[in-house]
Amino acid sequence: MEYKKTVGIEVHCELKTKEKIFSPSISNYGSIANTNANVIDMAYPGTLPLLNKEVLSFAIKACHVLNLNITKDMHFDRKNYFYPDNPKNFQITQNETPIGTEGYVEIEIDGIKKKIEILEMHIEEDTCKSVHSDKYSLLDYNRAGVPLIEIVTKPCLNSGEEAVKYLEKLRELLLYAGVSDCKIEEGSMRCDTNVSISKTNKLGTKIEVKNIGSISNVGEAINYEAKRQEELLEKGEVLKEETRRFDDKTKTTILMRVKETGNDYRYFPEPDIPFVHLTDAFIEEAINDLKRMPDERRKDYEKAGVLPINIEKIIANKEISDYLENFLDTNLVIASNLLLGDIQSYLNKNSKTINETKLTNKKFHDLVNKLDKKEINNKIFKDILIDIMETDQDIDDILKDKGLNISFDENLLNDIIANVINNNQKIIDDYQNGNPRSAKALMGLIMKEGKGKIDPAMANQKLMEKLNNL
Amino acid sequence: MLTKEEVLHVAHLARIEVTDEEIEKYQKDLKILLDEVDKIRSIEDFDDDKMFSPTDNQYDLKRESVIVDKEQILSNVPKKMGNFVEVPVMINE
Repeated sequence: MEYKKTVGIEVHCELKTKEKIFSPSISNYGSIANTNANVIDMAYPGTLPLLNKEVLSFAIKACHVLNLNITKDMHFDRKNYFYPDNPKNFQITQNETPIGTEGYVEIEIDGIKKKIEILEMHIEEDTCKSVHSDKYSLLDYNRAGVPLIEIVTKPCLNSGEEAVKYLEKLRELLLYAGVSDCKIEEGSMRCDTNVSISKTNKLGTKIEVKNIGSISNVGEAINYEAKRQEELLEKGEVLKEETRRFDDKTKTTILMRVKETGNDYRYFPEPDIPFVHLTDAFIEEAINDLKRMPDERRKDYEKAGVLPINIEKIIANKEISDYLENFLDTNLVIASNLLLGDIQSYLNKNSKTINETKLTNKKFHDLVNKLDKKEINNKIFKDILIDIMETDQDIDDILKDKGLNISFDENLLNDIIANVINNNQKIIDDYQNGNPRSAKALMGLIMKEGKGKIDPAMANQKLMEKLNNL
Repeated sequence: MLTKEEVLHVAHLARIEVTDEEIEKYQKDLKILLDEVDKIRSIEDFDDDKMFSPTDNQYDLKRESVIVDKEQILSNVPKKMGNFVEVPVMINE
């Protein structure tokens, strides 16, 4: 009989509010050390925490996208411990009344859907960042007091693959809810896992694996850890509850410490922050502020005929997907191809975002419609891309200035085709004698006469109609 | 009476050193405190709502930005390296 893996995951995400959770310091990654810290963050005697309303609003949004019940009456608790990363000697967290309870995230593996159940989500403050050498430790309190949400699943995952899917989905939801950057490499999303294996329904000894630096590593860490435990059990050893960390270089888990027994954190309700009542109006306001979630967007893209691979490329790039939200009434296949193709290349090459270019909503709208109606073709679009991105001129003016307007005057196109057919009887004879290449020769002449201003697809269609009716 | 080990455990959590005489004293003193807590626990009509928060005033979500002089923040730090606070090496693993 095989061992069954059971995995629970704890994720910490920093909320990207402007200010910290209990102090008005700026909450910003990458500033010079200790420049975004104030007396509250440094726990100067006599200072008191001031709860940031924006944190509650962001946490409500997170609850909503994770299908969690929102706790309307809640309070904060103190988790007591001595460590230099937290100068108050306690962390303010939510032990008894987490803001969110009993939710889920749905994942899909090989077409099979599974709800990953979330036990709870609570709000707490981040600790300061420490850098260690063998002689001293250096502390940066810029991170102390940055708001965090901690999302805890039930022990309901059964493989590394499920864990990876769950984390990808969780990251996507929080990113699109606009509450966190979810950058694992910058530490704004951190994953800890609990792994146990068992041959029966009774769960095995829980071993925690911390500090896993990427989503794919979470999968590897779980699979490695389950295998390690299996080997020990097969040797007849008894597992102890312990905390291990994942080593990226060796792809193994390394013992950090054997867990203390019992609860030494001595939680008690935070006396410096009165209880919080979330009103229905406040909750509604936060939820109404949410943009459309990725799955809803995927459906629209799919309905419009965007290729599955492109749908995922758009969703993976929130800036593009958000941008497309303004153009849902246009041809989304064309719009997404432009954004993922030439426009993306332009932005990458020039290290710009769309907002930093002269591409206005109106211009993009015109551009997509002109391509859709074949008033211009892809070649012309490429020719005017730089003008679109770098000048204030609208599309019509750019085309006019460059003399590039495609003739969508059907009469003109008909005249050109008629002219070419009338003056090239030899090629027509060839065509009628079954030489397929002669149609291409005629197309070449038509395009030459049209001086690149006519749409090849339309010209070809009309030419073939004419030839077949001769 | 608490056991000597229990007092030492609590002292360790609080990161304080205690002498043998102090241990004896705390064995008795902490017992008095714990007995008081037990009295609260013995209340039969235990109403969760009343115990929900230590204060009965609700948080009002207004807060004012406090201007703090950034230079002063590090002025009381005993040891610095550049802009960092330097502390003895922390061993966590």
